[in-house]
Amino acid sequence: MISVSNLYHSYSNDEKYAVKDVSFEITEGEVFGFLGPSGAGKSTTQGILTGLLQLQQGNVTVAGYDIKHIKNEMFNKIGMSFEQSNVYSKMTGKENLEFYRKLFDVKTRDPQELLELVGLGNKSDIKAGEYSKGMKHRLTFARSMINNPTLWFLDEPTTGLDPSIASEIKKIIKEKNNEGVTIFLTTHNMFIADELCDRVGFIVDGEIKLIDSPKNLKLQYGEKFVEVEYLDGKKVKKESLSFVAKRDIGRLKEILDSFEIRTMHTKEATLEEIFIKVTGRELV
Amino acid sequence: MKLWHSFIKELQLSSKSWYFYIEVGMAFVLLLILLVAVPEETDNRTDEYLYAGSLSSDYVDLIYRGILDDEDEYEEYERVEINVGGDMYGADLFVTDTRNIYFVDERDAVLRLAEEDNEVGIEIVQGGDGGLNYLYYLQGYESERLRNLYMVLQNNKVNYRFVERHMDRQTVETIEKDPFVLNNRENIVPVFLTYNGSIMGLFIMAAYVFLDKKEGIITAYAVTASKVWHYLMSKIGVLMVTTIATSLIIVVPIMGANANYPLLILLVVVTAFAFSSLGLLLTTYYRDIMQSFGAFYIIIVAMIIPNVSYFAPSWEPGWIKWFPTYHILEGFKETISAGGSAGYVLNVSLGFLGAGLLLFIFANYRFKKTLTI
Repeated sequence: MISVSNLYHSYSNDEKYAVKDVSFEITEGEVFGFLGPSGAGKSTTQGILTGLLQLQQGNVTVAGYDIKHIKNEMFNKIGMSFEQSNVYSKMTGKENLEFYRKLFDVKTRDPQELLELVGLGNKSDIKAGEYSKGMKHRLTFARSMINNPTLWFLDEPTTGLDPSIASEIKKIIKEKNNEGVTIFLTTHNMFIADELCDRVGFIVDGEIKLIDSPKNLKLQYGEKFVEVEYLDGKKVKKESLSFVAKRDIGRLKEILDSFEIRTMHTKEATLEEIFIKVTGRELV
Repeated sequence: MKLWHSFIKELQLSSKSWYFYIEVGMAFVLLLILLVAVPEETDNRTDEYLYAGSLSSDYVDLIYRGILDDEDEYEEYERVEINVGGDMYGADLFVTDTRNIYFVDERDAVLRLAEEDNEVGIEIVQGGDGGLNYLYYLQGYESERLRNLYMVLQNNKVNYRFVERHMDRQTVETIEKDPFVLNNRENIVPVFLTYNGSIMGLFIMAAYVFLDKKEGIITAYAVTASKVWHYLMSKIGVLMVTTIATSLIIVVPIMGANANYPLLILLVVVTAFAFSSLGLLLTTYYRDIMQSFGAFYIIIVAMIIPNVSYFAPSWEPGWIKWFPTYHILEGFKETISAGGSAGYVLNVSLGFLGAGLLLFIFANYRFKKTLTI
C-alpha cells in the first residue's frame, strides 16, 4: 500500500536533512506505527506521503500512485486525520462534513452518522468554533473517514482526548482495520502504538533506527522484571528485579525469605523502554 | 462542480465574516460621503470685502450702480450680516457670476477679515485728485504677478475696462466640441471604485487566506480530491461578487443610467481578479497578516500615488503610467463618461486579465509548494 525508498528531504534545500535515507514498506491491511520524539521527521515523512510536502529525493508510492506525479484522484482513497484540528470554525460540525464530502468523487459517508460515531451526534448543529479542543479533534478525525478511505493517515489520533473518548477512537481504528483499511499511525504515544500497531518504526533525527512488530521487539530487547513490595520492619520498601540477572535472582530469594511480602508483579518492558534502549533518546 | 461547491461555501463563510460587512458598510459610507459632503458643482465665486464708508453716499451709489449695470442678471443687492471672530458686522452683498462682493459698514471688519480670516480686504478712499483709490490689504504671500495685476487693474491709464475691451476682441476656439465633463461628485467615483475594489480586495483576500492558514483549512483542503486552484479561485470568486456589489452601491445612485455598466462590471471583475491574485501570492511568503503588513503597506501606498495625477492632471510624469491604478482610474472614468472610450477600457481589462492570470498561476504554484507552512 505504501512503498518508500531512500527518501530524503531538506527544508533549507541543502544537506541539513529533516529526513534521510528513509525506506519502508507497508502492506495492505496493516497498521503501521511511525514513532519518534518531536522533530524526529515523522510529520515530514507523513507530509510527503500525503502530498503536502513536495518529494525532493527518493521514491514513494502511495495507494498505487507515484508521489512524484500526484493525481488528485489519489485522495479519493486516502483519509487524513491531523494532529492540529483544522475545521471551519464558522460552520457547524455537520456543515463541515457536508462540505468536505462534496470534494470527493467516491461514495461518501453520512455526516450525521460519522458525528454520532465520534460522540458528536447531539452537537452536529453547533458551530465548530464553539467546540472544545477535544470535540474539534474528534470532528477532524470524523472528517478523515468521510470518503471511506482504504489508506488512513492518523496523526496523534488520541492526543488531548479524555480516556473514555480515546478508548472509543481506538475502537473505531481497530474496527476500520478489521474492515481491511491500511493505517499509518504517527504518534509518540507508545501505549497506543503497542495496542494498535502490527509493526512500528522508530525514527530519530530523520533516520529510521528499527522496524519490527511490538511483540518481536519485546522478545528481542525486553527484559522481564518483577516488582516486589515488602515490609522491612515498619518501613514499606519496593524493588524492581530482573528475571535474568543472577544477582537480582539472589536478591529476590533473600527478600522472599527475610521479609513480609505485600505485593509482587511481573512486568514486561514497554515499547517506550525499548525505544530508549534502541535509540538512546527519550520520547519527548 | 467542486469549484462551485467551494465557491458557495466561501460565499456562505464570507457572509458570516466581519470583512464582508466592512466592505459593504464602507461602500455605503463612501456613497454617503459623495451624496452629502461632495457638492455636484463647486461654488467658484470668490469673496471680496470692501469698505467704502469714508466716501460720500453719492460715490457709493455710483459704485453700486456700476456693479449692477455690469451684471445684467442682478438688479438689487441684499443686506446681510457677516461673522468675524464672533462679532457681527453689517454689509451689502452683491452676488455676481464670479464674485460675492461685500460692502461692509465698518473699516474694522475689512481689517479683521484680512488679519483673522486671510481674506482679501479692500478700502476705497477718495484721492486728492477727486478720483478713487483702492487700498488692498493682502496676506503677504501673494506673488509679484498678482500684485502687478492689481496695479494694472486699478491703473488710471490702462484700467480693467480697457483690458476687458481688448480681451473681448480676442477669439478663443475650443478644439473638442462639447467635451463631456464629469461633475465633482462623479469625478470622485473612479477613485472610490479603484480603492474600494482593488486595494481593499488585495487586503481582504490576504485577511481571508491568513484566517484559513491560522485554522489549518488549506492543508485539510489539500488532502481532498479537489484541486488547490479550486480553493484559490473560489476565494477570488467571492471577492469579485462582493466587489461588483459594493461598486454598484456607489455607482448606481450617483450615475443612474449614465454609465456603461457592462464595461464597468468587466473592469471591476478583471481588476478584482488581478489584485486578489496578487494578494494570494503575497500570502504565500508570510505566515500571518502581521508579518506581511510591511509589504502590503508599501504596495497600497504606491497604488495611491496615481491619485495625485488624477486630480491634478498637469502633473502626469511618464512613470506614473507604470502604476496599474493609473489605468484603473482612467478606465473607470471612461466607463462613466458619456462617449467614453470603450477601446481603452477593453485594452486595460485585457491587460489586467493577463496580469491576473499570471499572478494566479504563480500563486497556485507557490501555494502547492508551501501548504504545510
